[in-house]
Amino acid sequence: MLSKLQRHLAKDFMKIFLRDRQSIFFSLFFPVVFLSIFAFVRGGQEPIPLGVASESDSAVAGQLIQSLREDPAFVVVTGGEAELREQLIAGEQMLVLVLPADFPAVDGGGAARARLLADTSQFNQLPLVEPMLEKKLMVIERQQRGEAPMFSLEVENVQALSQSYLDFLLPGLLAMMLMQLSVAGSGYNVVEFRRKGILKRLFVTPLRPRDFVAAIVAARLGIVLIQLTVMLAFALLVLRVNIIGNLAEFYLVAIGASAVFLTIGFCVGSIAKTQQSIMAIGNIVIFPQIVLSGVFYPIDAMPALVQPLAQVLPLTFVVSGMRDIAIAGASLLEIVPSLIGMGVWFVIGFALAARMFVWKDVAA
Amino acid sequence: MEPIIHAVDLVKRYPLPEDKSRKFAAVDGVSFAIFEREIYGILGPNGAGKTTTLEMLEGLNDIDGGSAVIAGIDVARDPYKVKKLIGVQLQASEYFEKLNLIELLKLFGALYSRDIDAMEMLAKVDLTEKAKARPANLSGGQKQRFSIACALVNVPRILFLDEPTTGLDPQAKRRLWDLVMELNRAGMTIVLTTHNMEEAEFLCGRIAIMDHGRIVAEDTPAKLIDQYAPEPPAAPLKGNIEDVFLALTGHALRD
Repeated sequence: MLSKLQRHLAKDFMKIFLRDRQSIFFSLFFPVVFLSIFAFVRGGQEPIPLGVASESDSAVAGQLIQSLREDPAFVVVTGGEAELREQLIAGEQMLVLVLPADFPAVDGGGAARARLLADTSQFNQLPLVEPMLEKKLMVIERQQRGEAPMFSLEVENVQALSQSYLDFLLPGLLAMMLMQLSVAGSGYNVVEFRRKGILKRLFVTPLRPRDFVAAIVAARLGIVLIQLTVMLAFALLVLRVNIIGNLAEFYLVAIGASAVFLTIGFCVGSIAKTQQSIMAIGNIVIFPQIVLSGVFYPIDAMPALVQPLAQVLPLTFVVSGMRDIAIAGASLLEIVPSLIGMGVWFVIGFALAARMFVWKDVAA
Repeated sequence: MEPIIHAVDLVKRYPLPEDKSRKFAAVDGVSFAIFEREIYGILGPNGAGKTTTLEMLEGLNDIDGGSAVIAGIDVARDPYKVKKLIGVQLQASEYFEKLNLIELLKLFGALYSRDIDAMEMLAKVDLTEKAKARPANLSGGQKQRFSIACALVNVPRILFLDEPTTGLDPQAKRRLWDLVMELNRAGMTIVLTTHNMEEAEFLCGRIAIMDHGRIVAEDTPAKLIDQYAPEPPAAPLKGNIEDVFLALTGHALRD
């Protein structure tokens, strides 16, 4: 594995990284906060304030209001239409359901008209809420007509899935953070060491670039594993995220991912001449991948034009590999395509890093 | 006697800062021979090409023209072999700031595959009481002495010092000179650059005066003074190397 020199160097790099308390703190603090925000925004389902203005005192109207009150998705406030309409404009209500006085009387064979008032510029969950309300009306309608529900089984199936959006998101978020920590970690170090003349001092000894690169990658891997463990522990224990697959295999993929991104970080560090430019170049590498690699939503949902590009990004392979293990319980054998993709990127990244690595002064 | 360092017509070209398509020679055909156990000084103003010349010898900078042979090894062909033989103190080198002096010395030892006694190295440069300190907490003189300690971990045959006393106060300067003399007495060949006339005169057996990438004169300090320094009309002394320098380059230090 590592030679004696590489081990000595890697140990010293570990010391250097671990003694930098401030950056350790922030490297852990941000991912944890980030995960928490997602957990709260996506995980805890905020009930929607719903005003109901009912001018009807029919049993059906009462039944509908009762069923809305019982639904945890809504906070129901009843009142007059004019009053609720004002509250809606003031932003105190998200939606106002108006049941006219003749509800549910069927006039002229048409359906009873219930109206839903919404400010679509403020409320973007309408496509979600509309079917919910329609379903409630349908249930009541069926009861009234004595019809058996046709789709209830399917509905129950959807609810039976115990996985939340956070379960889907976590592997992607972890992969994304691995990418950021690794690219920034190795790239920043190289630029910093070069700027201070440390690289020059090191390479006036018989040190070979490959020993230096191997040692810094090994040390960074160690650090990234610690960071990953903290984030994962937080996600599993505090946020109660589920990982179905084998945790050891999940780690193996994460280590591979980190190695891929560390080599890419070395390339970035070799191109960048200053601390400012490493931020800019790093972002060029990082941001398109966050958007295109299926971290937040599946690649299939993207425009057909960018899909071929999205399919071959390094982060795409990492995200799909980690996600398959985490939410589908896949084994390493089942994610071979992702592993091959990562392997190809590692070879490309390492070859480029070794070729471009400059320890000499780079004129700014 | 065979020289331990033999440079012939060394050339280094850089693109002009104001016009990248054109090049200028930072080092323009420099030749010299340095012998074992010598203290050889390269004296010159900033931008004369002193550091670039040293860096070509050290394998830190590519040689664009001419050749450099150190202890029989062609630097361009086998820089790694040369790097094992030499110790280098760079002009402004920093160290990993999160490691203390002992850890840094051991790290440098590892780079040469040597297990070293870090305390003994520190004792040589009189820094034992700073063993657990970080480089950032050293004074200027201590930092330079530590740099020399790092350059000594491989027990080099040749020690390169690039402006070792620049920015040091007189006491620290004096202390460093003593250290250099001591290392030289123990048998080490020393090559140093400086723009301090007094230093060149005090330390060096021979001096090369560089200006605009060329060596304009090379000899012992005494002979240079004989040859170039104008006789001061009333003073009993002949003048000093500073006069030599001014006579040869026609200007004071460019800082």
